Amino acid sequence: MGIIQCKDVCKSFGEKIALDHVSVDIPKGQIFGLLGPNGAGKTTLIRIINRITIPNGGSVLFDGRPITQDDVEKIGYLPEERGLYRKMKVGEQAMYFARLKGMSSRDAAAELKKWFVKFGIESWWNKKVEELSKGMAQKVQFITTVVHKPSLLILDEPFSGFDPVNAQVIREEILRLKEEGATIILSTHNMESVEELCDNIALINKSHVVISGGVDEIRRKYGNNNVELVYTGGAISSAEGIYTVLSDGDEGGRHTAVLSLDGGSCGNAVLSDVLSRGVTVNSFKELVPRMNDIFIKLVTEEE
Amino acid sequence: MKFRNIQTVIAREYLTRVKKKSFLLITFLGPVFFAAICIVPSLIMFFAEDNGKRVGIIDQSGIVMEKFVSTDAVAYTDYSAEHPDSLKAHFKGYGLDAMVVISPIDSVSRSVSVTAYSSSPLSVDMKEAIGSKVDDAIEDWRLGLYDVGDLKQIMSEVKSDVSVTTYTLGEDGEEKLSSSEVYMIISLVLSMIIYMFIAMFSGMVMQSVIEEKASRVVEVLVSSVKATELMFGKIIGVACVALTQFLLWVVLTAVLVTGVSAFIGFDSIMDSTSVQTEQMNQMAQGLGMDQDMMEAAGMAMPSAAEIADQSELGAIMSTLSELNYVQLILGFIVYFALGYLLYASLFAAIGSAVENEADTQQLQIPVTIPLLIAFFIAFYAFKAPDSAVVFWGSMIPFTSPIVMLARIPFGVPAWELALSIVLLVAAFVACAWMSAKIYRIGILMFGKKTTFKDLWKWLKQD
Repeated sequence: MGIIQCKDVCKSFGEKIALDHVSVDIPKGQIFGLLGPNGAGKTTLIRIINRITIPNGGSVLFDGRPITQDDVEKIGYLPEERGLYRKMKVGEQAMYFARLKGMSSRDAAAELKKWFVKFGIESWWNKKVEELSKGMAQKVQFITTVVHKPSLLILDEPFSGFDPVNAQVIREEILRLKEEGATIILSTHNMESVEELCDNIALINKSHVVISGGVDEIRRKYGNNNVELVYTGGAISSAEGIYTVLSDGDEGGRHTAVLSLDGGSCGNAVLSDVLSRGVTVNSFKELVPRMNDIFIKLVTEEE
Repeated sequence: MKFRNIQTVIAREYLTRVKKKSFLLITFLGPVFFAAICIVPSLIMFFAEDNGKRVGIIDQSGIVMEKFVSTDAVAYTDYSAEHPDSLKAHFKGYGLDAMVVISPIDSVSRSVSVTAYSSSPLSVDMKEAIGSKVDDAIEDWRLGLYDVGDLKQIMSEVKSDVSVTTYTLGEDGEEKLSSSEVYMIISLVLSMIIYMFIAMFSGMVMQSVIEEKASRVVEVLVSSVKATELMFGKIIGVACVALTQFLLWVVLTAVLVTGVSAFIGFDSIMDSTSVQTEQMNQMAQGLGMDQDMMEAAGMAMPSAAEIADQSELGAIMSTLSELNYVQLILGFIVYFALGYLLYASLFAAIGSAVENEADTQQLQIPVTIPLLIAFFIAFYAFKAPDSAVVFWGSMIPFTSPIVMLARIPFGVPAWELALSIVLLVAAFVACAWMSAKIYRIGILMFGKKTTFKDLWKWLKQD
C-alpha cells in the first residue's frame, strides 16, 4: 500500500480545470517521479498533497487514512518557487522552519547542527541570507526541508540552482534518505535524473495522468523491440521471421548494427541465427528508449 | 487552527521587528521628543526671557518715545538726535542689542512705520512689545486729535475684556474648572497618534506579506502552517510590536517628564500656581460668590485681569489633573487594537494579491480612503464633538477607531462606546474572514497583475 494514494482528485480554478480525476499511488520507500510539461497540473497536485490547496473532489490518503493537517509535519516540501527571508540570519531561519514542522527548539538545534557540519557550513549560522550566494542559499533550503526527518519528501526541481558538484551532493543525500526509509516525490524536467533516481513515475499532461508505473517497465513498453548488435566478421542481412537489419555501421570489420525483432521472435533466436552465420558477437543489448523520448512522444501525441 | 504554529509565527514576527535598530531608535527617541514637547515651551517661558537687552530708539515721530520705559529686562535709550545711518555705524560701539527707527507721522495714513535692526534675530516677544508700544502711542495720538476732554478716560472705561471660565458639571453636580483648549489638543493628538499607528502598523503587515511573497518564502511556509494561521500570526505579532512601542512610550515619557521636572524644580513652580488658583477659587466660593457676582459687584477691577490670567493656567492645570488618563489609555489600546485588526487584515489581503509594493496603489484605494476620511472627521471633531457627522463617524467601523478616540476626551456615553465597539468587532470578524479567503489564494498567485475582479473570484472560491 502506498504512503500517498490520490483517488479521483479534481481541482478547478473557476473555469480552468487543473486536475481531472487524477489517481496516483505512491509506494512507500521509493522515489516517485512526477513528470509533465509546464502547466500540466503537477504543482497543483503537489499542493493538494501538502494540504496547501483543497481539492474539489476525490480523496488523498496518507498511510491508508485520509490525510489530516497533522500529517503535514511528516512531509518535507521543497517547492519550485522557494526562497528564504533575506534579512534573517541563516540559523534563526532554519530554526523557525524546523519549529513550524513541530520540532522542539532543542531537537531542532541539535539536528540542524548535524546537517550544517555535514555540509560544511557551520560558519554560516550567523550570516544573513542576503550575504549568501544562490547555491549556498539552496543548501540551507534543502536542510530546512529535511531537518525534521520527514517520512515523505516532496522535491520540486531540487537540482536547480546547484552546480554539478553540489547537485551530486544533493543526489547522494536523496538516495541516502531513501535508504533510511523515506519516500520521495521528485518533480523535475531533468529526465536523466529521473532515469537515475526514480523507481516509479506518473506523467501528467493536460490535467490527466497519461501514464504511470515502474520506470523500467515503461521504458520497455515504449521500446519498439530493437536490439543493438556489435560483431566482427562479414556483414549480416535480415533473416525472415527473426529480425530485420535497420542499420549497420562498418568500422574496419567491426560492425554496429541495429536489428528490429520480428513478431514472435526473441533474443535467443536472433543470437543463434547470427552465430550460425559464423560471426563473432562482441556485444548484444536491448535498446530501451530514453525517458526523454517517451516524454516528448507522449506529450506531443496528445496535441 | 493550531495554536502552537500561530505562536511560532507571532514570535518570529515580533522578535525580528523588536530587535531592529530602527525600532529601538524610535522607541527610545519618541519619549525624548514627547517629553521635549511637554517641557520645552514652559522652560523657554521660564528661562529664556529677554534679559538685560539694550535697545536704541530713533523716534522721528516724536510721540512714541515716552512709551518706551526701561525695565530690568530691557533698557531703552533715546537716540532720536542721531541719524539712523550713523547709529547703525556705531551700533556695536554703543553696546546695543537692537535699534528701532520710527518714521515721522504720515499725514495721510496717520500712522508711522517702524523698522528694527538687531545683531541677532529679534525675539518674538521683543517684536510684539515694540509693536504694541507704538500702537499705544499712535492710538493716544489719534485720540488726542479729536480734542474731547475725557476721551481717554471714556475709552478705557468702555474697553471690555471678558474671559469665559468653563466648568464641567459632573454627575454629582460637582463643578470642575476646565479648559476646552486642553480637550481640543488632547483630542487632536490622540486621533493623530491612533491614525499614525493604524496606518503605520497595518502597512507593516502588508509589507511583510509582500516580502514573503516576493522572496518566495511563502510556499515553504504554507506547507507547514495554514495560510490563515500565517496571516493571523503575522497580524498579532505586529500588533504586539505596536503595543510594546506604545506602552514603552507612555512609561518612558512619564519617567522622563517627572525626572526632568524634579531635576529642575519645574514641578514646584507648576504646583504653586495651581495651588494658588485653587485657593483663589475656594476663597471665592467660600465668600458665597461666583464669578458673575464678583463682576457684578465690580470688585477690585484692577485685579480682575490678573484673576482671568491665573485662572486660564489654572484651568489647564485643573483639566490636565482631572483627565481620566486610565480611560484615555484604555480607550487608545482598545480602539487601536480593533482598528488595527480591521485594517491590518484588509492590508494583508491586498499584500497577498501583489508581487511588489508598486502594484499596491490601485488595490489600496478602497482601504486608505475610509482611513483618510476618518482622520479628517477626527480632525474637526473638537469643534462639534456631538454633531451628527462625528457621531456616525464614531459608529461606522471603518472610521470609528479614529473618530471615537477624538471624542473620548470630551466624554462619551457608555452605550455609544459599547455599540461602537460591538460594531467594530463585527466588522473585523467579517473582514478577517474575507481577507483570509483572498490571502489564502493570493499568496500563491504569481505572474498576472491582480484586479478587483480577481479578488472577487478568489472570495467565491472554496
